[in-house]
Amino acid sequence: MRKIINAPEAFVDEFVEGILLAHPDLVKIPGDDLRILVRADAPVAGKVGIVTGGGSGHLPLFKGYVGEGLCSGVAIGNVFSSPSSDQIFQATKAVDGGKGVLYLYGNYGGDVFNFDLAVDLAELEDIPTRTVLGRDDVASQPKERKTDRRGVAGILFAYKAAGAAAERGDSLDEVAAIAEDVVEHTATMGIGLAPTILPTTGKPSFELPDGEMEIGIGIHGEPGTRRGPLETADEIAEHIVAALVDDLELSEGARVAVLVNGLGATPLEELYVLYRKTHQMLTGRGITIAKNYVGEYATSLEMAGASISLLALNDDRLALLNAPARSPFFEEN
Amino acid sequence: MNAPELNAQLRRSLAVLVDSADELRDLDQQLGDGDLGITVSMGSRAVIAALEELPGDATPTDIARATAKAFANANPSTMAALVAGALLAGSRVWADKTEISVTDAQAFVEAAAGSIAQRGKTQRDDKTIYDGLADVADALKGATDARQATDAAVAAAAGAVERTTPLQSRRGRASWLQERSIGIPDPGATALLRFAEAWRVSRPEESALLS
Repeated sequence: MRKIINAPEAFVDEFVEGILLAHPDLVKIPGDDLRILVRADAPVAGKVGIVTGGGSGHLPLFKGYVGEGLCSGVAIGNVFSSPSSDQIFQATKAVDGGKGVLYLYGNYGGDVFNFDLAVDLAELEDIPTRTVLGRDDVASQPKERKTDRRGVAGILFAYKAAGAAAERGDSLDEVAAIAEDVVEHTATMGIGLAPTILPTTGKPSFELPDGEMEIGIGIHGEPGTRRGPLETADEIAEHIVAALVDDLELSEGARVAVLVNGLGATPLEELYVLYRKTHQMLTGRGITIAKNYVGEYATSLEMAGASISLLALNDDRLALLNAPARSPFFEEN
Repeated sequence: MNAPELNAQLRRSLAVLVDSADELRDLDQQLGDGDLGITVSMGSRAVIAALEELPGDATPTDIARATAKAFANANPSTMAALVAGALLAGSRVWADKTEISVTDAQAFVEAAAGSIAQRGKTQRDDKTIYDGLADVADALKGATDARQATDAAVAAAAGAVERTTPLQSRRGRASWLQERSIGIPDPGATALLRFAEAWRVSRPEESALLS
């Protein structure tokens, strides 16, 4: 294992310290626990708070989207494992500006249990909460079991839209409805080319023979739905985009936002090769790309591979995506 | 049972329960990821410490809530989160009570079982702690006094472990083992049984006999 770390057990605390030292104007910790990070001006009085959370190892996912016009706070777990309910609850208290708190995170068992318990803890202190789960990975469950899908990179769209709604002063129910609406209209699918190596074990998360790829991979190195010979970039984009267009039932005249996301070890150049074909395919079907994001938005340490996400747009969703936002890892002016 | 009695009884029971940590760890290594032993031992110790700190005028609801929070935070695991959620659900049915009757205990267990069923998306015969809780809730319905209720709870919890051992686990990590889970007692249901037994041996009258 070759990694730039000190001790595996100090990895999470140390990268959080690094973020705090690099961006003191944007984020802070409300107490002395490095696993609870909130925007620098939290709590913002009179506005709905948004708390997210999940395991580490996915930067900029979760902790990177804390800031103005995005999430208000995050509870940070160990690599690929859930934060505790108490950490989520502490984040909740630190961001509550009197209008309640939305829990917006990915659909993973451990996270669901701990966030649900935080709902109880918040209720004891009279902080109203609502929960919306990111569940955009079309490869993880077929459409008829949509609500069981796991959440991956496409949650970025929900953060952006819900964060913008909270920033303009929407109520908790309104912000939750917007997050739910965006999740409902988001679809993602990814492929993996090389495994991640967990700092704690030093071992690869899966084995993949040369010349093969894992299709429908999760962001923790969960196996995909199938394994196949490595395809060209255009073939990969074709398969994924066709699946997403189908899932969202997009037809000619539709508008979308596109996110081409690298999983950690794939160069930006390759992501743009994927974007090229994605763009050609969508416009070829008469679908307008009103917004695009190409880069690393949800990673799995050094996993090689990429995912493509689409959000079906209407005027409201597009306006929320275009609203200003600022975090250490994301900016929209 | 008034609030100070409940607090003391809980602390005595958990001090006994800690002795089962190794057995539960070993069972959980066969059917789960092996962290149930540590969830029980660290959780019990954290609850005892939290209950010692509670003010004298703490109500039964306060006691249940302090127990839930301490248990959840001691070793955050799926089981700890489920149990803490169940205790909080139980604490709600005790609102405004200063004394706990057998009927109140029954309502508490029923609410706790309901919380686990909902959060854990589980039902009877999935072979989880829910089987134990649901059976105990039923057994407490006919109980009249505290001593009889405790005996009924222990018998029901033991019955649930026995009833579900031949079944295949259908929830959590144990479900991944499929047929291999058949014949192994469920760690969660066993933990509930050990707690019920610990509650019985730590009753004041039993403790007096032991000392």
